[in-house]
Amino acid sequence: MHPITLNINGEKHEVSVRPHWSLAYVIREKLGLTGTKTGCEMGTCGSCTVLLDGKPYFSCLRMAIDSGSYAITTIEGLDADGKLHPLQQAFIEEHGMQCGFCTPGMIIAAKALLDENPVPAELDIREAIGGHLCRCGTYMRIVKSIQKGARIARGN
Amino acid sequence: MEYFNPGDLNEAYEILMKYGDAAIPVAGSTFFMGHREELFDEVDAVVNIKRLGLSYIRLEKGRLCIGATTTLAELHRTGLTAKGPFRIFAETVRELKIMEVRNAATIGGEVCIAGEVDMPTTLLAYDADIVIGSRNGTRTVSMSEFHKGYLKNALQTGEMVIEVQVPEPGRRTGGGFAKFERTAADLPIVNAAVRLTLGRGDRCSDARVAVGAATVSGIPQRADAAEKVLLDGTLDDERIRKAAAASNSIECVNDFRASAELRTLWVECAVEDAIRKALTHAGEEK
Amino acid sequence: MGAETTVVGRSLPLIDAREKVTGRLKYAGDLPPLHRMHHAKVLRSPYAHARVVSIDTSKAEALPGVSAVLTHKDDITGRKKTCNTPWVDPSFNFRGPMISEEVCYVGDEVAVVSAVDEDTAKQALRLIEVEYEEMPAVFDLEQSMQTGAPQVHPWGPNALEPSLFQWGDIEAGFRESDHIIENRITLGNQQHAPLDRNACIAEWDGDCLSIWTSTQALFWIRDAVTDFFELSPNKVRVHSTPTGGSFGLWWGNNFMFLAIAVARKARRPVRLVLTRDEVQTTVKRRERPLIDARIGIKADGTMVSQSYRHIMDNGAYGNKFDPYQSVADIYTTPHGRAEFIGVATNLLPAGCMRGVGDLTLAYAIEQTVDMAAEKINMDPVEFRLKNHWRSGDICHTSQEVLFAKLLFNKEPQVALTSSGLEECIRKGAGKFGWKEKWKGWGTPSSVEGIKVRGVGVGISTHISGLAFFGFNGITIKVNPDGTMVLTTGIGRMGQGGDTTQAMVAAEVLGVELGDVNVVDGDSEVCGHTMVTFGSNGMHMVARATKAAAEDARRQILEFAARRLEANPDDLDIRDKRIFVKGSPDIGVTLKELMSSPIYEYLSPPEVIGRASRGVEFDKAGKMMICDYAEVEIDTRTAQMRVVKFVAYHDSGTIVNPAICENQVAGGYCQSLGMAMTEHLVFDEESGAILNPNFMDYKILGPLDMPDPEIYFEQVYDEDGPFGAKGIGEGVTCAVPVAISNAVYNAIGVRLHPPITPDKIMRALRQKSR
Ligand SMILES: Cc1cc2nc3c(=O)[nH]c(=O)nc-3n(C[C@H](O)[C@H](O)[C@H](O)COP(=O)(O)OP(=O)(O)OC[C@H]3O[C@@H](n4cnc5c(N)ncnc54)[C@H](O)[C@@H]3O)c2cc1C
Ligand code: FES
Ligand code: FES
Repeated sequence: MHPITLNINGEKHEVSVRPHWSLAYVIREKLGLTGTKTGCEMGTCGSCTVLLDGKPYFSCLRMAIDSGSYAITTIEGLDADGKLHPLQQAFIEEHGMQCGFCTPGMIIAAKALLDENPVPAELDIREAIGGHLCRCGTYMRIVKSIQKGARIARGN
Repeated sequence: MEYFNPGDLNEAYEILMKYGDAAIPVAGSTFFMGHREELFDEVDAVVNIKRLGLSYIRLEKGRLCIGATTTLAELHRTGLTAKGPFRIFAETVRELKIMEVRNAATIGGEVCIAGEVDMPTTLLAYDADIVIGSRNGTRTVSMSEFHKGYLKNALQTGEMVIEVQVPEPGRRTGGGFAKFERTAADLPIVNAAVRLTLGRGDRCSDARVAVGAATVSGIPQRADAAEKVLLDGTLDDERIRKAAAASNSIECVNDFRASAELRTLWVECAVEDAIRKALTHAGEEK
Repeated sequence: MGAETTVVGRSLPLIDAREKVTGRLKYAGDLPPLHRMHHAKVLRSPYAHARVVSIDTSKAEALPGVSAVLTHKDDITGRKKTCNTPWVDPSFNFRGPMISEEVCYVGDEVAVVSAVDEDTAKQALRLIEVEYEEMPAVFDLEQSMQTGAPQVHPWGPNALEPSLFQWGDIEAGFRESDHIIENRITLGNQQHAPLDRNACIAEWDGDCLSIWTSTQALFWIRDAVTDFFELSPNKVRVHSTPTGGSFGLWWGNNFMFLAIAVARKARRPVRLVLTRDEVQTTVKRRERPLIDARIGIKADGTMVSQSYRHIMDNGAYGNKFDPYQSVADIYTTPHGRAEFIGVATNLLPAGCMRGVGDLTLAYAIEQTVDMAAEKINMDPVEFRLKNHWRSGDICHTSQEVLFAKLLFNKEPQVALTSSGLEECIRKGAGKFGWKEKWKGWGTPSSVEGIKVRGVGVGISTHISGLAFFGFNGITIKVNPDGTMVLTTGIGRMGQGGDTTQAMVAAEVLGVELGDVNVVDGDSEVCGHTMVTFGSNGMHMVARATKAAAEDARRQILEFAARRLEANPDDLDIRDKRIFVKGSPDIGVTLKELMSSPIYEYLSPPEVIGRASRGVEFDKAGKMMICDYAEVEIDTRTAQMRVVKFVAYHDSGTIVNPAICENQVAGGYCQSLGMAMTEHLVFDEESGAILNPNFMDYKILGPLDMPDPEIYFEQVYDEDGPFGAKGIGEGVTCAVPVAISNAVYNAIGVRLHPPITPDKIMRALRQKSR
């Protein structure tokens, strides 16, 4: 076991990990942050996406032990101040979900996109979630939600 | 299993040497973590190589030097490979539709896997060299000699890849990359990379055609026959098709993902597409 | 027609949307650990059929941290040693003993370990020594039906008794026909492949059992567990969480029983979460069909006779022997025959998946119908308009008739209540531009260089639930401030059933959706509710919800009548206020009514509306589906893409348009996956699945297809609450055949899903030869 400190959503968490433990496993099982989902644990679904220093990564493919030096953002960090992120608001209004299992990953990936490109074209959006699956097939409204989230974020 | 996070190359080399074949360098960890169940038993030491200062892209004496832990996203974004003579690298990355993997996966990881990945095919077409380091110093192996088979390569005990070097393409040279897959976010079923140089009268004065992912050998291969067709000719439609057809001598894998017959067809298509892209780019370069 | 509505018909957000976008919604795998909880892992058979000759678990048991190891020697069998009542078996997936010494497919359970953490449990699995004696296995449907074939599992023959439906005089019908078209089809092995992974936590307290699991089948699981472990329902409490998708995967399954049994042995709570590989290869898949279709038509295109033999691969433990409901009823003919045979193979068990039966049979019928229309060179749209099923027509192949016969020895008739099929076909053709695109049989709609396009159409119907799934018991409790709590056992798999039930209640009670909380997923608290499948939520469960709301409304009006000194019949509720119909100024707000003491009792009123409703089966409300597809095939690369897709559906009144659009888009996406890329590949030698994960089981992503165009023909169904019918499953049914018919018209060759580039390449090569 190796002691590490993870900086998640601005809070420091001390936790002991084994080298093969993924970041997804540790934040879910050891820290109880279950908003990050793990559908496949091999990089093929996108449900475990988190931000490290603002960039999206699959947390199932990251060693937890190597994640200490980053500012990690999970879905729980988006409304930490009690206010929904524009994307969250938009996903609610536009029905950007059915079962909701892919939703946190989609929103996190979309946040990374909007932070870099506040006025994304539809293709930019589809590419930003290109590695994400929605088995409920909600892509149409997920894309709409992200477009709307971008509009809310821009203030119109 | 032990974990090491060395802060410089020498420290890393010592650990790699000490644990020998039971040590595994880990860079982007996208492959390592995806296969952790199988690797768990075999590995005694996991060596994180991301703090060794190997993340860079720079031009040195006419060669593009890419540090082993440079990510695909960096290759896609950074000036030197995003446009200009080396933009084939960005174009290769563009075919990987998973942003999160681009952000994590490294060129060193791609090179070491060599199987169903894209970058090695491009590196082969660009006559890249792989710089290998160990406690005993560094050595350079050409891309064409580096791979021995799927997950097998020229690395010996205690060694790791530290850099990839690509000679600067000459004048009027262009590159093209093409990939065939089942869905957009798939691993490549077939890929091809082409580098063309135009000479006098727009005749092809140099050509490299490399094919990956589909090969029985499990590693990217040159399509010599296709190159021969291209060399010294004017690159009209007919010649391009002939060159593409000539690449069908590459022996393709047959499995449930795609039959060897389909892969052979796709090799032809990929080579054709890559030639056309390379030709366009070569025409644009002065 | 229905009266004006204020809640029903609006795209109100899902009531759990906020929990979903914040990540706070807990699926079973997200539940916090219980005190002393251990983690389970399953050892699985590498053989398709074998006997466990010896199993040594001593080393695993000795490993520090291991709390229990369970094998067939524990002999946990329950009361039912054989599966003699398959359809009513709650798990659909009964296998005699929970762990048998005879393993029947690759992945079958051999042992379960519980340990302090997953790493230790995995390590313990590696320490178990098993000696197998291989037995002959059979993977092919037709081989399995032959005499002398290896017996797939220890009980019963491989092929179940056929269920047969006949009407008219089938042979006479074919004699009368001018043309007879015969066709044989099969499809790929589709996996439900929800993104979430199945999970179960079991905890025993003496002889009382609690489990937490993601499921759409709360009461089935309760009943299965009570039955299997011989417990009274008052000793079993099932908590069902929402599921991260389901599509039929999250019913009762053996893995829950394993968790329960190992928890009992370990004397502590145990959690079992399946890996992605396990979800893909050990729970369930769609039955693979082998269908022989025969259709007789007159020269003018009138369909006279139709006959189908639908064999379905049940895998090792599937039990399907029945026709689902009236799946062969898409066209009305005087003569018909439909036969269904479930056959076991030593492969992953198969069972219902979204669109079950209707998808497979519609595929066969709709392709054969196309061939028939081609025979007389009639436009496929015209052919369908001439022959399709109509409102009031008889459901000849109704499962309910089958059950009435089995249970009561009666043979009633079931009739279709409403149908907008004709409008769906007609208007869909308009939206799609069928007239402009249709160029004739096997003829591309357009050719551009190496790219050819083709168009296809497919129709289908699907049930809005089945009566015999049981009664629905619903309560609605009104709070002092006029908000309310709806209690229902409806499953939450992303179809938004909790939201739409609450919308129905809000509509009846004159409140807003936000005023209704829903309590679900607890077998102790909720009234029995049908397992949520067969698209029954809106058409059937909502009848009980509506009745419970009406009951609450009646009570409210009675209390208000006393207060307003009026007759309850003269009162109405709107916008949370009760008023006299003629003079709306006289009234009282719901909040005031519910919070003010009544003189006699010195207390405010308490209102609990309730209803327990079964559904009469003699009228079938079915959804109607017409899908149009245009595909483009690159003749150089043999790749295909969808260019345009129009879905025109009749699900009665659309209670929440956004939810319904998502359902249609999702069905399209999933079924397009089946049409193009999704197929579990079984190794021919070993029966093992070669693509047990998303790396190789290819689900379509956001870059792989265009959005569908979605339209609803809102035909008011007199039986459905506010005129609604079902939607969830039917949306998948006509997609694969619309695609496959379009492929035919593009390249002139009939291909069956998955229509891969490999198949297209071979077809193109064969044709050009
Ligand atoms: C779902 C998915 C889809 C993908 N699709 C594509 C695709 O379409 N095209 C594509 O090109 N790639 C694709 N990839 C990425 C590719 O498959 C590998 O995961 C990636 O290239 C590995 O890079 P890494 O840096 O993460 O390697 P790691 O996982 O860190 O390492 C991989 C292997 O290489 C060794 N290694 C790494 N660096 C060194 C070094 N410097 N010296 C010696 N040994 C080293 C490691 O020991 C290990 O064995 C995909 C990945 C995923 C998960
Ligand atoms: S769980 Fe990480 S990508 Fe699926
Ligand atoms: S909403 Fe269910 S997986 Fe996307």
